[in-house]
Amino acid sequence: MIRYITQRLTESVIVLFVMSFIIYALIGLMPGDPVDLMISANPRATAEDAARLRALYGLDRPIGERYLAWLGAALQGDLGYSRLNSRPVLEVLWPRLGNTVALMGVSFVLAIMLALPCGIVAALRPRTATDTSINLIAFAGISVPPFWLAILLIILFAVVLGWLPAGGMPPSGAGLGAQAAYLALPVATLTIVTVGGIVRFVRAAMIEALRQDYVRTAWAKGLGERQVVLGHVLRNAMIPVVTILALNFGALFSGALITETMFGYLGMGKTIYDAILGNDFNLALVGLLLATATTLLANLAADLCYTWLDPRITYK
Amino acid sequence: MNGERRYEGAATAEPSRTLRGLLWRRFLEHRVAVSSLVALVALALLALAAPVVETALGLDATRVDLLAVKLPPSAAHPLGTDELGRDLLLRLLYGGQISLLVGLTAALGAALIGTAIGLLAGYYGGASDALLMRLTDGVIALPILPLLIVLAAVDLSKLGLPDSLVTSENASLYRIVGLIALVGWTTVARLVRGATLAIKAREFVRAAEALGASHARIMLVHILPNVVSPVIVATTLSIGNIILLESVLSFLGLGIQPPVPSWGNMLTNAQELIWDAPVLAVYPGLLIFVTVIAFNFLGDGLQDALDPRAIKA
Amino acid sequence: MTARLAAILCAAVLGLSAATVARAAELKIGMSQFPSSFNPHFDAAVAKSYALQMTQRPITAYDQDWELICLLCIEIPTLENGQAKLETLSDGGQGIAVTYRLQPEATWGDGTPVTSADMVFTWEAGRHPKSGFGNFEIFRRMLAVDVIDEKTFTLHVDRVDFTYSAAPFELLPAHLERAVFEVDPAAYRNRSTYETDTTNPGLAFGPYRIVEVVPGSRIVLVPNPTWWGTPPAFERITLLVIENTAALEANLLSGAIDMIAGELGVTIDQALAFEKRHGDRFNIVYKPGLIYEHVDLNSANPILTDKRVRHALIHGLDREALNRTLFGGKQPVAQTSVSPLDWVYDPDVPSYDFDPERAKALLEEAGWIPGAGGMRQNASGERLTLELMTTAGNRSRELVSQVLQSQWRELGIDARIRNEPARVFFGETLNKRKFTGAAMYAWVSSPENVPRTTLYSDQIPTAENNWAGQNYSGLANAEMDAVIDAIDIELDRGKRKALWSRLQHLYAEELQIIPLYWRASSFILPKWLKGVRPTGHQNSTTLWVEDWYAEGR
Repeated sequence: MIRYITQRLTESVIVLFVMSFIIYALIGLMPGDPVDLMISANPRATAEDAARLRALYGLDRPIGERYLAWLGAALQGDLGYSRLNSRPVLEVLWPRLGNTVALMGVSFVLAIMLALPCGIVAALRPRTATDTSINLIAFAGISVPPFWLAILLIILFAVVLGWLPAGGMPPSGAGLGAQAAYLALPVATLTIVTVGGIVRFVRAAMIEALRQDYVRTAWAKGLGERQVVLGHVLRNAMIPVVTILALNFGALFSGALITETMFGYLGMGKTIYDAILGNDFNLALVGLLLATATTLLANLAADLCYTWLDPRITYK
Repeated sequence: MNGERRYEGAATAEPSRTLRGLLWRRFLEHRVAVSSLVALVALALLALAAPVVETALGLDATRVDLLAVKLPPSAAHPLGTDELGRDLLLRLLYGGQISLLVGLTAALGAALIGTAIGLLAGYYGGASDALLMRLTDGVIALPILPLLIVLAAVDLSKLGLPDSLVTSENASLYRIVGLIALVGWTTVARLVRGATLAIKAREFVRAAEALGASHARIMLVHILPNVVSPVIVATTLSIGNIILLESVLSFLGLGIQPPVPSWGNMLTNAQELIWDAPVLAVYPGLLIFVTVIAFNFLGDGLQDALDPRAIKA
Repeated sequence: MTARLAAILCAAVLGLSAATVARAAELKIGMSQFPSSFNPHFDAAVAKSYALQMTQRPITAYDQDWELICLLCIEIPTLENGQAKLETLSDGGQGIAVTYRLQPEATWGDGTPVTSADMVFTWEAGRHPKSGFGNFEIFRRMLAVDVIDEKTFTLHVDRVDFTYSAAPFELLPAHLERAVFEVDPAAYRNRSTYETDTTNPGLAFGPYRIVEVVPGSRIVLVPNPTWWGTPPAFERITLLVIENTAALEANLLSGAIDMIAGELGVTIDQALAFEKRHGDRFNIVYKPGLIYEHVDLNSANPILTDKRVRHALIHGLDREALNRTLFGGKQPVAQTSVSPLDWVYDPDVPSYDFDPERAKALLEEAGWIPGAGGMRQNASGERLTLELMTTAGNRSRELVSQVLQSQWRELGIDARIRNEPARVFFGETLNKRKFTGAAMYAWVSSPENVPRTTLYSDQIPTAENNWAGQNYSGLANAEMDAVIDAIDIELDRGKRKALWSRLQHLYAEELQIIPLYWRASSFILPKWLKGVRPTGHQNSTTLWVEDWYAEGR
C-alpha cells in the first residue's frame, strides 16, 4: 500500500514536471509580451523604453534558457512575481485557492447532498414517474451551459428581484449573512451544473449494485428494503461513484472557472483566466500547475478511498 | 476494472438482421430519445435552411442596420433584431450551422483519435497499453478549461504554421475543432480499449491470429466492427459536452470570432444586454441547452438500445 | 405659537444647513479594475492613477481647461518669468534649466516634508538603467539636478521643446524608498514600499491616504492630516472593484456604491441605457476625452496607396449616424488626431461628409469598376478586398467594425473582418505591421501631444529597427516630418498654433489614417455629489478630489 502511494506520488510529480514544461512552452507561444501591453497604455513611452524594459525582464532570451532559469528558481522556492499584482505569485494564489476551495467545496457538498437521495430513489423505483422526472432534471443539469445559467440567475435574482448581489466579493468584516449572499449565486450555479452528473452516476451505480446476486439473496432472506440498501448496496455503489467524483474534480475546476469569471469571484479559476489573458506568465504558469496538482491529488485520494470502500481491491 | 466487466455483454453481439431489428425497436421504445432525434434533425434542417429563410424574409444576415437596433419581434423580423440591427432569427440559424458543425466534426475527430488509441492499447497490451492508459488518465486528470484557454490563446504563427492558414476567415473554426478533438477523446479511448480487450479473447479473433492475419487486419476487420456500437454511444454522448466546450470558448472570446456567429459568441456581451434587451441573452443559450440535452437523451437512448446492461455514466 | 413655530423652523434650518455643510460620512466609488501595482512610476494605468491621485500629485498637470497648472509647485517656470533659462550644453547643443519651488507646506503623511531630496532620489532612480521606470526617457533627459534649498531645485534638461515647463511626474518619498532602492535597483519594482506597505502614511501628501487594501477588491482612503489645501469633505472614500459591468450597475442601484468612476466604469451604450431607465435618480455626465478612435490604413498595401481610394473609404462612412445610433451622439466625430478641446485645434480642416456617390465616383476614377457579385475590381481583374482588424472582445469595437464593413460593402469593397484579442493585436499584429489593410484602435494622448511616434517617418516599425516606433500606418511624408520637428522647438504660441494648423491640414488631406470619433467617459454620479469635474484627458477627476462635496444628501 505504501509502495502504491509512493509510486502514484512519483508519477504525479513526473506529470507535474512534464506539464510545467508544456505550459511554459505554450505560454511562450502566446503573442506579444507584457512589455508591449505596458507600452501601449503609456502615451509617453518610447521605443527605447520598450527595448530597455524587455532586456530588463529577460524577455529577449530563448525559451529553453528561460524555462531552466524558472525551474531552478522554482525549486528553490522562488516562484517569481505576478506582473498583474506586483506581489509574489504564491502570495496572490493562496487566498484565491482558498476561495475556490470554499466555492467548490460548498457546491460539491450541496450537490452530493441533493444527488445521493435523488439517485438512490430513482434507482429504487426504475421506470416510474419519479425516476423519469429525476432523470430529466439530471439531464437538464448536465446540459445547461454554465455561463448562460449564471446570466439567467443574475437576471432573475439581481436584476428582477434584487435579492442578491450580481457579483463581486463580500466586503471585509461583513457578517455571515452578507458573505452568504455573495456566495449564493455562484454556489447555486456550480451546484446545478454538477448535481445532474452525480445523480446519474449514483443511479446507475445503484442499479448495477441492485442487480447483484447478493442483493437477491438479501431479498430472499426477507430483509427490508432499507436494510438491504443501507447495509449492502450503498457501500458497493459508492465505489464507482467515488471514482467518477474524483475524475470529475477536473471538470469541477473548469466549472468553477466559468462561475468565478461570471460573478467576479476572486478564485483560482478567474485568476488563471485573467493571468493568461493579461500575459502574466508567472501567475498563469504557477496557477495552472497548482490546478493540475490539486486535481492529481484528488485522483490519488479517490483511489485510496476506493481501496477503503472495496476490500476486494488491493494494490500491488 | 469496471470498464471491462461492463462491456463484455455488448461485445458478444454480432451484427445480424434480426438483432438490428431488435435494437431499432428497443430504441423506439425510448420515447424521449426518439423525440430528441426528431428535434435534432429538425434543428439541423432549419440551420441548413438558413439561406432559404434569408431569401424568404428578403433580408441579409450580415447587413448592419443602425436604424433598427434591438427591435422587438415584427413581421419583418420574426424574432426581432440584435444590437446591430441584424435579424435575430437568421443569426441564430447561422449560428446553429456553426455550432452543430463544430460539435459534429470535433466529436468525429475525437472519436477517431480515441478509437485509434483504444484499439492499440487494448490489442497490444503490455507496455503500450500501460503507457497509453497513463496518457489517457493524465489527460482526464487535467483541468480542461484552463488548458484549453491557454491553447486557444497561443499565436498560431509562432508555431510555424503558414500565414495564409493563420489569417483565413475560418482559422478560428479549424483551431477550435482541433483543440476540442485533442482533449475530447478519452472516453472513447477507454471504452474501445475495454471492448478490444474483451473481443481479443474471442475465438474468431484467435482463429484469425492462428491463420496468420496481420495485426492491422485483425484490428481493422475483426475487432473494429464490433466496437462500433459503444463508440457510437460514447461519441453521441460526447457531442453535448463538445458543444458546451465550444460555446464556452466562443463566449470567452477564444473560440469562433465575430462576425461569424456562433451561439456562444452571441452571448459574449449578453451580460451588458440583460437590462436593455434580455431576449438577446436568452435565445442563444436556450438553443445550446436544447441541442445539448437532445444529444444527451439521444445518446442515452442509443445506449439503452445497444447495451442495456451498461452502467450509464 | 408663532414664536414657537419660528424657533422650531430656525432650529430645523440650522440643523439642516449644519448637516449639509458638515463632513459627509462616506463615499463609495465603484470601478471596473484593480490596479496591478501602486508605485506611480511603473505600469501606468487608469485604475492606479485614479486611486493614487487622491493621495499624491505630480508636480504639474493639465487641468480641466487644459491649462498647465502647478499642483506641487508654486509657479509654473517659464522663460518669461525667469524661472527657466536657456543654456548651452557641453556638446554645443541647446538645453534649458528649469527651476521649481515646491509647496512649502507639502508634507508626507508621516510628518517628513516633501523636499528637493525627493526630486533627487526620483531622478536617480528614474534614470537608473535597471530600475525599469515607465518614463525613463524623461529622467534620462535631465542631465543634472541642482538643489537650491529644501524646497527649490533646478532641472537641467538636454533639449528645448515647448513642453519645457511641464514636470508631469510624481515625486517618490526618498526617506522611505531610497534604502529599498539601493539594496537592489532591479528588484525595486516589487520591493517598493508602495507594494510591500501600501498603507504607510509616509507615501501620501495629498488630501487622502490609503488605510486599507484588499487585493483585487477594495481600497479605502481617509483624510490625510498633513494636506495643505482645501479640507476634503469625506471622512472615508472606498474604492470598490467590480469587474462585471452589469454588477456595477446593480450595486449602484442597490446603494452598495454611490457612484461609478467615469474613467473606468461602464461603456457609453451601457450608460445611455442606464440613463433611460434611471436618469432621474442620478447625474450622468458624458465627457469626450483624448481617446482617439481611428483606422490606420497600411501604406504598404498597394490598393491603399491611391489617395482617391482612401478618400473614398472615408466618404463611404456615415460617422455621424454611427455616433448617433451607437453612442447616443456622445462621442463626437473626429476630423484629425487633434481634439476639439485642444487649444491648437483648427476648425477649418477639410472634413468629409457621408457621401457614398462621391465615394463610388472616386473609386471608379481610381480604376475600380463594379464586377461580379457587386464587388469592384480593377483592369487586371483583382478584387477590391480590404481586411479590417480590431480587438476582439470589445463589444463597441466589434459593432463599429461591422458597421464599417457593411457600409464599405455598399460601395463595392469586399471588406472582411478579422478580430484578434487585445494582447495579440497590440502585442504582435500592430507593432509588427502584420495587418494587411485597415486596423481600428485608439490612441490615448495628452493635451498638445506632439504625434512624433505615430506620424514621423523614422518611427515606422521595421525588422531593421527592431520594431521600434508607433507609426503603424506607415505614413511617410516629408512635410509632416518637417512640421513635427518645427512644432517641437517652437516656443512662441502664435507660431506654434499656425504649425499645428498645417499639421492638421496635412493629416486630413493625406488621410493615411481615417479619424473616427473621440471616445467619451460616462460619469454616473449621485445627485448630491458636487464638484466632480471631468477633465477629458488622462488626468483623473481625483486630482481635485478635495473639491468634491455632498450637498442635500
